[in-house]
Amino acid sequence: MSIPGLTIIGESINDSVPSTKQLLDCGDIAGIVQLARQQDEAGAAYIDVNIGSRPPELMAELVGQIQRATAKPLAIDTPDYQTAQAGLKAYDPARAGGRKPILNSVTSLRTEMFELYRVQPFRPILLISEHVVEGRSQHCRTAAESLAAARYLLEAFRRVVPDAANDDVIFDPGIVPIGSDCENQLHRVMSVLETMHQDPMFAGTHRSVGLSNFTVMLPSKRRDGSPVKAPLESAFLTRAMPLGLDMIIGSVKRNYQLLPEGHPALECFDDCLKLSGFDVLMRVRQFYAG
Amino acid sequence: MDLSELYQAIVTGNAKKAEEVTKAALAENVDPMELVQKYMIPAMDEVGKRFECNEYFVPELLIAARAMKTSLELITPLLVSRGAKPLGRIVIGTVQGDLHDIGKNLVASMLEGGGFQVIDLGVDVPPERFVEAAREQEGTIVAMSALLTTTMVMMEKVIKALEEAGIRDRTKVMVGGAPITQQYADQIGADGYSDNASGAVAVARKLVAVTAS
Repeated sequence: MSIPGLTIIGESINDSVPSTKQLLDCGDIAGIVQLARQQDEAGAAYIDVNIGSRPPELMAELVGQIQRATAKPLAIDTPDYQTAQAGLKAYDPARAGGRKPILNSVTSLRTEMFELYRVQPFRPILLISEHVVEGRSQHCRTAAESLAAARYLLEAFRRVVPDAANDDVIFDPGIVPIGSDCENQLHRVMSVLETMHQDPMFAGTHRSVGLSNFTVMLPSKRRDGSPVKAPLESAFLTRAMPLGLDMIIGSVKRNYQLLPEGHPALECFDDCLKLSGFDVLMRVRQFYAG
Repeated sequence: MDLSELYQAIVTGNAKKAEEVTKAALAENVDPMELVQKYMIPAMDEVGKRFECNEYFVPELLIAARAMKTSLELITPLLVSRGAKPLGRIVIGTVQGDLHDIGKNLVASMLEGGGFQVIDLGVDVPPERFVEAAREQEGTIVAMSALLTTTMVMMEKVIKALEEAGIRDRTKVMVGGAPITQQYADQIGADGYSDNASGAVAVARKLVAVTAS
């Protein structure tokens, strides 16, 4: 089921997914292409392609093969410059109705990736969960740090691509697993979403998160047998979409919904935002085991 | 006084209770080493077992580790003053270029709960920092974590740096993280690998036993 206004970047072609890793390890290109086709048919707006640390040539080959099987644009998912270059070079916008690919992702320490715009114009996902301190990348601990990273990255992108449309820019505040969030990272994410939503500098830009990360390491079922993950991820969407979140890297198989007030997952989410430290974990645990 | 309450408090992650029982036990001159060996380490072992059979998940591990840590903070100064030695010394960190710390923190907590002295170097740790920390004491275990396929290659660089520093033969190396496999650990010459935090404690105990023998 899809939520109006929410763009899904299909996450299945990722080296960190064990079944996909197996396909990549075996060189099963047809299997990977099939994953792309399935996600296309199930409603993904983009198909993410992550090959881990394999050679850039594989990215180029996969981009070509996947584009022969689907007209959906791709998200080239790699922190490696050469792999990104190979993927962007191989990408044919004409096969995707003229639409640009996404480059997932660029951080404050990897702004040289913007130069690849000359190889192939793309929509960057700008990762604002990290910022540079004394020449080294560090996690953002506060919304103010994430906001500063967003401004820095947007300005850096505009220096390379002065006429880039805001519509091409996607910010990822970096969602963290709620089951291990002892450092109030959920507060940071929600707070920076809210601030950016009200800031004219970011008008028309997009916000995305890797939504499956939110519930990793949690059980699949609650004590009563009902699901844990989809409701908690839906609770995040319910609160984040009014703050401008309009894209996710996620599963097309997941039943995402906007939850009604009073839903147990939404209550859990709201409580977590009021709590801090280990009390967040206790509340999450209460949701699935209580 | 029922000291099994300490065991129970850690297994259920009740930090307040763990602190209360530990304080009461110490006030009654219970041997701190007895608390650690008879109640606290077995409690964390039980938590690990429950995790492995999917009865516990990461929140329970973290909550239990915090309860353990609360007690350990009260006990450690006493153990140190009596010259008691930890099971082993472990230098842990996420490799250079990688900022992911959830798994690393979890493993660090479990190792501490398992009776090890843990020196946490944090994230984005360059090879020379691992070497420097390992050099300080013979028999140190270097534990490395990586979440990215693009950064896992740094593990091999750390092992090479230990070799170049001439301390590889007196330093054990264990690795873990989402993209790491036993095959990769073998390929780069690591001494131990675990795919989860509770298994990491068992691996570290084996490595310590090998070093001691």
